Amino acid sequence: MDSELDQWITLLRSPLLDDRLVAIKTLQHLGDEDAIAPLIDALQDDDPTVQTLVITTLWEFAHPSAIPPLLGCLGSPHEAVRNEALSALKELVSTDDLMKLLDVLQTGNFHAQLNALVLLRKIHDAQALPFILPFFESENVELREAAVTTLRYLNQVVRCEPALALAQDPSETVRRAAVLTLGHLSDDGVVPLLSTLLTQDADWQVRRNAAQALDILADPAAIAALVAALTDPEWQVRKFAVRALQKNADPRALPTLINALADDFSDVRRDAATALGNLGQAEALSALQQTLNDPDIDVRIFSERAIAKINQTLAATAHG
Amino acid sequence: MAQTSQRVDVPVIVDESKCLEKCNACIEVCPLDVLVKNPETGKAYMKYDECWFCLPCEKECPTGAITVQIPFLLR
Amino acid sequence: MQILATDFGFKIQRMQTDVLVVGGGTAGTMAGIKAKQANPDSDVLILEKANIRRSGAIAMGMDGVNTAVIPGNSTPEQYVREITIANDGIVNQKAVYETGRLGFEVIQELESWGVKFQKDPDGNYDLKQVHRVGKYVLPMPEGKDLKKILTRQVKRHGVNVTNRVMATRVIVQNGRATGVVGFDVRSGDFVVIQAKAVILCTGACGRLGLPASGYLYGTYENPTNAGDGYAMAYHAGAELTNIECFQINPLIKDYNGPACAYVASPFGAYTANAEGHRFINCDYWSGQMMLEIYKELNSGNGPVHLKMYHLDDDTIAEIESILWANERPSRGRFHEGRGENYRTHGVEMNISEIGLCSGHSASGVWVNERAETTVPGLYAAGDMASVPHNYMIGAFVYGRVAGENAVDYLQSLDHLEPDADFLAAEQARIYHPLTQPNGIPHTQVEYKLRRLVNDYLQPPKSPHKMEIGLEKFVAYTDTLTEMGARDPHELMRCAEVHFIRDCAEMAARASLYRKETRWGLYHYRLDYPEKNDAEWFCHVNLKKAETGEMELFKRPVEPYIIDVDLKEEVYDVAVR
Repeated sequence: MDSELDQWITLLRSPLLDDRLVAIKTLQHLGDEDAIAPLIDALQDDDPTVQTLVITTLWEFAHPSAIPPLLGCLGSPHEAVRNEALSALKELVSTDDLMKLLDVLQTGNFHAQLNALVLLRKIHDAQALPFILPFFESENVELREAAVTTLRYLNQVVRCEPALALAQDPSETVRRAAVLTLGHLSDDGVVPLLSTLLTQDADWQVRRNAAQALDILADPAAIAALVAALTDPEWQVRKFAVRALQKNADPRALPTLINALADDFSDVRRDAATALGNLGQAEALSALQQTLNDPDIDVRIFSERAIAKINQTLAATAHG
Repeated sequence: MAQTSQRVDVPVIVDESKCLEKCNACIEVCPLDVLVKNPETGKAYMKYDECWFCLPCEKECPTGAITVQIPFLLR
Repeated sequence: MQILATDFGFKIQRMQTDVLVVGGGTAGTMAGIKAKQANPDSDVLILEKANIRRSGAIAMGMDGVNTAVIPGNSTPEQYVREITIANDGIVNQKAVYETGRLGFEVIQELESWGVKFQKDPDGNYDLKQVHRVGKYVLPMPEGKDLKKILTRQVKRHGVNVTNRVMATRVIVQNGRATGVVGFDVRSGDFVVIQAKAVILCTGACGRLGLPASGYLYGTYENPTNAGDGYAMAYHAGAELTNIECFQINPLIKDYNGPACAYVASPFGAYTANAEGHRFINCDYWSGQMMLEIYKELNSGNGPVHLKMYHLDDDTIAEIESILWANERPSRGRFHEGRGENYRTHGVEMNISEIGLCSGHSASGVWVNERAETTVPGLYAAGDMASVPHNYMIGAFVYGRVAGENAVDYLQSLDHLEPDADFLAAEQARIYHPLTQPNGIPHTQVEYKLRRLVNDYLQPPKSPHKMEIGLEKFVAYTDTLTEMGARDPHELMRCAEVHFIRDCAEMAARASLYRKETRWGLYHYRLDYPEKNDAEWFCHVNLKKAETGEMELFKRPVEPYIIDVDLKEEVYDVAVR
């Protein structure tokens, strides 16, 4: 058995590409951990197909000794090589690898940095914050987007003023990511900024994400902007604005929510019914009676529940 | 019983110019065990029309020699 | 007629092990690992007719788990209530409870092995609500390599693996399971394995009904899962249960994969009728949901589809990246070939062929909460064991339970020498097709059998049709003797057709026996369209009687450990 293993390990260094591919494939299927060190050496092979296959194989072995060499592949000029290394490391990195990942951020290689920012999301460690912040200033859109997304995954970071600037970035992909991250921050300017973006940003996905962030934050200061967003031309903005209004039941939303029961999109109608149920006001009852005949079963069910809830609230107030 | 040699369109297509004679990766992983080597050429082919189009053969092939199509009756 | 393996130049291989696991899929790999963990000195062997790297229901990965009971999101008690209601009360609650109780430990262990479950930005499990109440669905967007991870752990634990050997019968001596016999599907060798405990983990009977496409292997389940364990347990004398509670799934029309409304629904997609409106409010698969789909399909509002075309490009791209990557990676190719795009087309859905699978519904070999069948020394886990709606987590839990209990059970036992007559009879049975290489090919014999299943057993169930079907399935025993094979591979398929026939007969008899309608479409009887708790609040069990006849009987539902008021809480996915 050992000699069989040795034979394939020797073939790893064959001048023939085909032989090297067969050798790696066989070592992968044999699964003998004695092959790990020679496989790590084979990462230096000139051929990117060989490199990619070696990464797949090392991934399968899942041995911690392969993590540093795999980190070294994150900046490979070959797309297939660095993508395979990223996939492998997504499964293999643990909190022990924090410092190594932070080192990769310093390399100056764009691909390595981008991939390291993605991998830091698996670790959720606030110590990464000072290493991420410089990327907020990057000239590169992808790095700014990746950095502000990673910020969302750092537990314990509750304030981060620089993220607010990225919510007004010239690139919409950066703004979309930054706005979602703001939903996890409590800086003073967050709710006013999200309210402005919800009603004024030119990109509808930024507006939708602002509604989602405001749903998480559940701050009454956003009510006026959320009510205004109920007439947004994009239905997903309306849907998430309605959802945010479910948590913050506010009578100011009543007329627009009643209008939302006639929305063309069933998700908006359904979620508006729930929001009206939470408001508990008799004015909504006749409109909700209408949606009991909605063609969409969810709208019917949630309208029925809303009516029951309003009647309950009314009965409780009458007795109390 | 009389034998016929009716052709069927098989889902697993092997590019013989890429298939390596020493390699058995696809044959080893096929859950339905439908792939074998042609003893004359050393190239893999689909011998039995019993494919679940689950793709391990294609994913495991180190040279990208295999393409799995959806079986004709489904596609 | 005496037929021996050696007549064809095959060898006879003998093996011995303490624990024998038949089937190296989800449940089997876990059973092997847990048996070895429980006693590292014991010999544990996994027997697999394919290769454990890529075998079983999750050969290519899995995009999420359906039944994750995670503290803070749900409790084992809630889970038992949910499954009790979803399975119309016919459950052994103690067995269901184990899946809820041990599921979280399984998830943690899988995670320690490198399986990545979806987490929210705070690092908590990102559970989705798909069931009526409670959150149990946990996505694993990077789950495509689950099988690879399990294979690695099997190896690290020192569990022995024999690939490409198919078991055909369990050996029973002195009233206990003492091993299995089978054959090598490549060399043809006859394989006799003596074991002190046998754990069957052979998956569903996925090749029972014929898919509408007519392609024998275009089934929802991995077609290697031909009901091997159902048939082997039956012939070993074990009880089977709820066989009439078929597995039927809502799938993409002509394709063998689910539309996966539950994966796409968090993004705003939903199952809609031809008008584009929702007609069910819960995407969790149940017989009740299937009945609603059946009704909608057969109404003026059919066909039904998974609706995504109201979503934006970026959201659809994200859904595609999940749906096309894992459980059914060929799905993107399927749509592409038809020029279909989620941005403009709904994904047309249809009802699948019938099968037997406790993972989705409830049919299986009867097991208690210790994974014991009614035959001592014989255990079962995964899609073929009777714990309802058990899915992947349940397969892992019961693999574990079986592995640990089997090791405990076999302590003081010795191997027994198999009975020579039994070995001879089995060789005569399995090698018979080789004696007539020009016999009818297994493909044709299987096609006709499964077409008869469609003709006579596909719900809604008609008693007269099922009587005809039963008669034909019984007569088919003779047809099987006409099969011819030319090599060990074809022999494997022939042996599988035997398993399928056994399952078809069980399905017909059990469906005729339960004279009521239950589990929505799964057991919808045209002659008894109502549920009848007074007479049928019980399991229908069956077993091979001493006479060799199939015997059916009622088995009472074990007293509940979690109180559920079934009158109040009728499972309804379409409140009107």
